[in-house]
Amino acid sequence: MELIQQAYDLLMTAAVVILAVLIILSIIRSILGPGISDRIIAVNMIGTMIIMITAVFSVWLKENYLADVCLIYAMISFLGVVVLCKVYTGVYLQRKHMKADLGAIEDNLSRQNREGLDEKEVQP
Amino acid sequence: MIGEWIRFVLAALCMALGLVFMISAVFGVKRFHHALNRMHAAALGDTLGILFVILSLIIMKGFSMDSLKLSMVIVFFWVASPVSGHMISRLEAMTDERLGEISVLEKNNAIRVQMDDQASMIREVSDKKRKKKKGGKNR
Repeated sequence: MELIQQAYDLLMTAAVVILAVLIILSIIRSILGPGISDRIIAVNMIGTMIIMITAVFSVWLKENYLADVCLIYAMISFLGVVVLCKVYTGVYLQRKHMKADLGAIEDNLSRQNREGLDEKEVQP
Repeated sequence: MIGEWIRFVLAALCMALGLVFMISAVFGVKRFHHALNRMHAAALGDTLGILFVILSLIIMKGFSMDSLKLSMVIVFFWVASPVSGHMISRLEAMTDERLGEISVLEKNNAIRVQMDDQASMIREVSDKKRKKKKGGKNR
């Protein structure tokens, strides 16, 4: 019984240490990432790994309320990603004076196409 | 006694598999160069990584109310991760001005840039315009 307890402790320690190293690497990626969406992706992945660590601790320390913390953290992480995406989409579109709606992608492409058509009309 | 060890081996296998998925997700995010490709790598950790890690915890704990809560975390992630991925990809599609480029990773870590037809047309036109403007200034 002692031995299997030691084996479980070793497994949990290895998992938490590996996840902590991966979190540090993701923090480096979120600092380096050139665009805002790279940073949002890295922060989302950090949230996933923190949820994993919390779940491992909830089993390791036999603290059952940490499972609830996992659920709430997942919800708040999802909410954070959605709000960050909305905010940065709005900031970009306001800076470019574009249409801030669902048709913004088509608007962007049509602007580019219009520039192309003007050039073609000028050429002949 | 032997049943306990079988359970431990199953849990360790699932945990190792989940950690391998997380490691490959992090290194994929490091290795790809565009945000849409990076999102593909990050979704691996959001779905399979958290599935296997929490499955190993459920195997360790046995079936109880707390393992039900942990499995609710998996269900919530599988519902919420595609939605957040869609939001991030829409942000990228709106804000990236070089969307049509396809970058191909080669073996020696070099990037070869290909473009589809529409994007190459736009790029050619804008290059001509730039040259014309430069010429106009020189005249």
